[in-house]
Amino acid sequence: MQPLLKVENVTKRFHQVVANDSVSFEVMPGEIHCLLGENGAGKSTIAECIYGFYKPDKGSISVNGEVLDLDSPAEAIRHGIGMVHQHFVLVTSMTVLENIVIGTDAATAILNLQSATDRIKAICARYEVEIDLNSKVWQLTVGQQQWVEILKALFLGARLLIMDEPTAVLTPQESRRLFKIFREMTGDGMSIILISHKLDEVMQSDRVTVLRKGKRVGTVVTRDSSKSELTNLMVGRDVNLNLVRERSDVGLPMLVVSGLHAANDFGTDKLNGVDLTLNRGEIVGIAGVAGNGQKELFETLMGVRRATSGRVMLADQDITNKTPREVQQAGIGHVPDDRFAEGLIPDFDIQSNLVLGVHRDQPFARRGFLKFGQIRSFAKQAMDEFAIQAPSAQTICRTLSGGNAQKVIVAREFAQASRVILANQPSRGLDVGVIEYMHKRLFEKRKEGFAILIASEELDELLALSDRILVLFKGQIVGEFSHGAVDLERVGLLMAGHFDDAPNPNADRSL
Amino acid sequence: MGIVVEKRLTPSTSWQVASIILALLASGLVSALLLKSAGADLGTAFGALWDGAFGGWRASWKTLVKATPLILTGVAVAVAFRARIWNIGAEGQLFMGAIMSYWVYTLVGTLPPIILIPILFIAGFVGGGLYGGLAGWLKARFQVSEILTTVMLNYVATYFLSFLLIGPWRNPDSFFQQSPPIDRAARLPNLIGGTKLHLGFLVAILAVAVIYVLISRTSLGYEIRAMGMNAKAARFKGINVERTAVIVMLISGGVAGLAGVTEVFGVQGKLKPDISVGFGFTGIIIAVLALLNPIAIIFVAILFGGFVNGGIKLQVATGVPSTLTDAIQAIILLFFLTAAVLARYKFRLGTKDE
Ligand SMILES: Nc1ncnc2c1ncn2[C@@H]1O[C@H](COP(=O)(O)OP(=O)(O)OP(=O)(O)O)[C@@H](O)[C@H]1O
Ligand SMILES: [Mg+2]
Repeated sequence: MQPLLKVENVTKRFHQVVANDSVSFEVMPGEIHCLLGENGAGKSTIAECIYGFYKPDKGSISVNGEVLDLDSPAEAIRHGIGMVHQHFVLVTSMTVLENIVIGTDAATAILNLQSATDRIKAICARYEVEIDLNSKVWQLTVGQQQWVEILKALFLGARLLIMDEPTAVLTPQESRRLFKIFREMTGDGMSIILISHKLDEVMQSDRVTVLRKGKRVGTVVTRDSSKSELTNLMVGRDVNLNLVRERSDVGLPMLVVSGLHAANDFGTDKLNGVDLTLNRGEIVGIAGVAGNGQKELFETLMGVRRATSGRVMLADQDITNKTPREVQQAGIGHVPDDRFAEGLIPDFDIQSNLVLGVHRDQPFARRGFLKFGQIRSFAKQAMDEFAIQAPSAQTICRTLSGGNAQKVIVAREFAQASRVILANQPSRGLDVGVIEYMHKRLFEKRKEGFAILIASEELDELLALSDRILVLFKGQIVGEFSHGAVDLERVGLLMAGHFDDAPNPNADRSL
Repeated sequence: MGIVVEKRLTPSTSWQVASIILALLASGLVSALLLKSAGADLGTAFGALWDGAFGGWRASWKTLVKATPLILTGVAVAVAFRARIWNIGAEGQLFMGAIMSYWVYTLVGTLPPIILIPILFIAGFVGGGLYGGLAGWLKARFQVSEILTTVMLNYVATYFLSFLLIGPWRNPDSFFQQSPPIDRAARLPNLIGGTKLHLGFLVAILAVAVIYVLISRTSLGYEIRAMGMNAKAARFKGINVERTAVIVMLISGGVAGLAGVTEVFGVQGKLKPDISVGFGFTGIIIAVLALLNPIAIIFVAILFGGFVNGGIKLQVATGVPSTLTDAIQAIILLFFLTAAVLARYKFRLGTKDE
């Protein structure tokens, strides 16, 4: 069988960074081909080369044996290549239909629009996707937005779909569904290039090409391989995400939240009386489907969002509705879930981003002036510690790979926090090596007496980390489990809103 | 199919330089066509333009005098734009600076110059600053768009000045709407003998230096840049975006107010309704052309000053109507603005993918 896509010796440089170094691989028709590699290994870059967004410095890309001279995505689309980016590029104020046909010929003629609608509906029916073509994109969940991106690619006639970390933003249920649909697509003869850091997903592919520091280190048939072999290929050593949990002496309450209420930006109540206590030397995990108030909870604790009622106590200090600066100075660090919108100033360089929040304080500033020497040496140290891959501390964050950008935020917040760490989806987009490192650091912080709150959609991660797991559903804590007594089935049910006996969710606490 | 336009992740210097050269060529060509159509000899026309702008010592210092208020309004606008606050009100802030400094002059005008002149500049800064700060406060407190308020406050300032010059401050001996002449002693001293290049030019350069250091070296400047690039993340990390907006508008208005002082006490020697002929608006163009870089603003402002003076010479030499030089100036502006924007994008043939 002839390969659908053939990538030969592609090299792509950004100034002094060699993002891809003579990379070759093939994708067969009907194949799910995975690209695996550490943060900054060059996965997104090679994908963008295939999609024609970047022009390779060397090498060739061919589809069905025809060498392409890609100089734009339009060229790639004409050859049946579609891509869903790591960060979506939809116009949120427009409807689903408008987003799909925008820029295509169908957008110009009303007649075409009708046939376009029919075609999109047919695609939706084929893959059993339910989506209202006339709703505005901002009203959709992230999972649905991703479908708009996929529909757009299919509408343009994609035979090869490139998905860059599609499940980083999806709930586990949505991810499972997506994979089912991937299989139906490959059944129809389509091929998929999947970029993912989640090994469970990688194991569902047909073949895996592993990249390391821009070079291909091997292509393996997934069936004949294992997670540990892949990890080894990828980072060059074994990684253990189930670190030995040392016993830690859980201390006095550090952060006590009682009856917290808050609304989202549209005025809808998102927190409906959250009660929780974080103790010194304890990691508490929040399980829950995204959108059940995780974001609002973290933001309200940080003082970015107003609590409409309720109280937040840090040790014996009332920090309810204090300003973000006061909360941070009281010793709370925060890793938000939207890194480029909330966690970073993308157009700042790494060193400036690493001191965001302490840019007025010693030792990074004195008498109102920034101390660049201090900032630089701190940045060097942080970049070493978290293995942030960039040419220098003056690299603009916008050009960092997704995972490296996340590392900048994590490094900064770990350095700034002195008592409490709040992290919403902290390992999103990180490679396993870095996740392992972050977990190690979290355990260290726990040992130092930090109180840590983590929300994650990865139950495995929560299980590995947490001393207690709380289930958040519709803005309330509906269940609590201590480490070692977690009933995964029940957690799943509670996350989905099934409370077996008691109608009042707060009465349903199992400790 | 069409032309795809994408924002560049990182600006390309070579493309930036190329686009400036392109703009120069294009505007030269179109101006030549216009002049030709008006029957002017091109050699004489461009020669006169150059002579009036930089041809010789006299032309050069005159150009620097013209550039002085433009440097100040340019930097004023740049500070605000860096924070993504669209201050369109440098014109009004300039007037308020002029009014405030003139008022202070009427109170303490007899002080020795060495004390009086710094006081006048401070008064101008305070006048313009409070006026800008008002727009900043309205934005921070009530989320009123600063574009609206600053534009409207421009009118208020203009009419307020008219009122003062019709009423209380009118020079009874003059036919025109203007104040009595300011004492020689209170005027800005000239920097170099035999020229009218006044102290204001030095103040403008100093203001650029201060703003440059403020933006790039201080914690406040860091916050201004952070807020301009991603206000949400800035807020998440404890920057008080509202307070910073007010401070930025105080500074921006204050610097624009200094231009009022240079024009009243350095150039005109009296308060008049036309102490500014759109300097506040030209400042916006200068700031954008200079990509909000304070140092670059000095050079762009001097080019503009040169063009204004050269344009006058050109009219005299060729007899073309003054509207033509206005048109040429506008054409140059358009080409340069286009070039400045284009330099931040890349182009290629294809369909838009995003
Ligand atoms: N536009 C750019 N300008 C400069 N450097 C870039 C640019 N895009 C990517 N790079 C660099 O190229 C390297 C590879 O980046 P890439 O985004 O391909 O990594 P990745 O494998 O997708 O990583 P991640 O898993 O973190 O998303 C990184 O070192 C990155 O900093
Ligand atoms: Mg990537």
